[in-house]
Amino acid sequence: MFEQPQTAGAETVLYQEHIRLTDKSHIVDFAGFLMPLWYSSISTEHTAVRQKAGIFDCTHMGVLEIAGADAADFLDLITTNDINSLAAGCAQYSYILDAAGNVLDDIIVYRRSADKFMMVVNAANTPKIKAYLEALKNNRIVIDPDNPGRKLKYKSVIRDMKISDSKADCRVDIALQGPAATDIIFSLIENNRIREEIKNLKPFHFIEADLTVIPAKAGIYGDIDCIISRTGYTGAKIGFELFVHPVKAPQLWNILLEKGSPLGLVPCGLGARDSLRIEAGLPLYGHELAGQFNISPFEAGYGWAVKLEKEFFIGKTAMQHRVKTYDMKVAQIELRGEKGIRPVRQNDGVLNKNGECIGWTLSCANAGEKQVALVYVNKESAKENDPVGVYYLARSQIQIQQGKLQSVRKGQNLQPCITGTVVNRFAKF
Amino acid sequence: MIAEGLLYTKDHEWAKIEGSTATVGITDYAQQLMGELTYVELPAIGKEFRVHDEMAVVESSKSASDVYSPVTGKVVEVNSNLESKPELINDDCYGSGWICKLAITDANSVENLMNAKQYEEYLKGL
Repeated sequence: MFEQPQTAGAETVLYQEHIRLTDKSHIVDFAGFLMPLWYSSISTEHTAVRQKAGIFDCTHMGVLEIAGADAADFLDLITTNDINSLAAGCAQYSYILDAAGNVLDDIIVYRRSADKFMMVVNAANTPKIKAYLEALKNNRIVIDPDNPGRKLKYKSVIRDMKISDSKADCRVDIALQGPAATDIIFSLIENNRIREEIKNLKPFHFIEADLTVIPAKAGIYGDIDCIISRTGYTGAKIGFELFVHPVKAPQLWNILLEKGSPLGLVPCGLGARDSLRIEAGLPLYGHELAGQFNISPFEAGYGWAVKLEKEFFIGKTAMQHRVKTYDMKVAQIELRGEKGIRPVRQNDGVLNKNGECIGWTLSCANAGEKQVALVYVNKESAKENDPVGVYYLARSQIQIQQGKLQSVRKGQNLQPCITGTVVNRFAKF
Repeated sequence: MIAEGLLYTKDHEWAKIEGSTATVGITDYAQQLMGELTYVELPAIGKEFRVHDEMAVVESSKSASDVYSPVTGKVVEVNSNLESKPELINDDCYGSGWICKLAITDANSVENLMNAKQYEEYLKGL
């Protein structure tokens, strides 16, 4: 596996806004960045996104540009999805694998023009992906185990769009998610044609336009040039990611909050981001992808983003094997979750109706009075509406003394501590 | 927020000593760190604890923490309201969010606890 270089904790460009909006004790080191777990509370912020809107600091996410006459061919080779089917103004979910088929990251590729792409990568994986792409370009890695001499000959330029060398077109990500998101953006757009374009923007489509602060005040930017994309990580039917220059990011954040507050907009932290994406069935790298179980896109439920019919991409041989042999899957279950119910956690045992352990919990969160968990279970089990049980692992000395287990194996017979139901993943809210 | 008149541990429990009874709970600092609590596992009445024994478990959607006994004693009463309303600890950690009452069996066990001023200084150093 390609190793992850270590990073030190850093403030995001919105750090000053965060410490104005919430107590410092709510700020944690996440993927090397100091970010709020919540501002008011996870449940308030979760509900706001489902009913009105939420704004998220995603400026920690990595933003890379791949540009040049052969950029599309280069990307087609290093990602699993089909770049040639991606039109300008569209975005695509995809994976970067190593030659052994390990998932190095899940990404979104934005095609800005025929030969210019923007790639958004997970914050925690950014140093690894940058190092990997450089190593690939310099032919320092075997890309094809069936043909170890296979070399890359690409001239594409890879650029980190977050660092100041990128000058005016530097970009960081702020997400605006929820049913009120369109109206909130409209408060910064006077031009009817652009409003119409944003209103008609389909999921995974984007435009590049200026947001205008009206009325212009001294010391602020009148126009904020943005990539406005119908993408997100919350399962919201309406949601945008706004890619903006880091210098302008605090102003955009503040003006969106100012204009959006009357419409119910609230700032949302990492906690709500996690509970929303879990409720929407979306994978998190390290949990529902890669991680302790080395989960591939097939187990994760995203085999459609791995185009085995392509002539070649890095990791293809391993994926051709995996598609025939995988026997686990990510599923979603619902359980009671009102106050007083003990929360389900990672690695808790998942049981079928006979009490047989069929897998483990990957992630769990509260959504209203429910708990929603993403679980890793036998592929042929856990069909929609099936009853399931969960066995809570011991998480304290008291529970260990009471004889609670600290780990469980598949096939083990256990008494469920709480019962629930398998539900359909990928609901839209 | 620190309440006057209570005694404190380095693990962010508080104890209110009245005669030979200690009412105990977790501090505002601790509940802030945990976030919205969703579950509290209370000790059994009659159970005996020494100072720093694990006494209860508090869980939020993000984490689970042991609560340690601030004194040596025997559980005489538990706040069973917390079973259905763990948020009482978030809302009123020094009042209706108390966890249990202990009959102190070793008076010396109280002596190492911090007063409000000492706890305040301790928090500044974290």
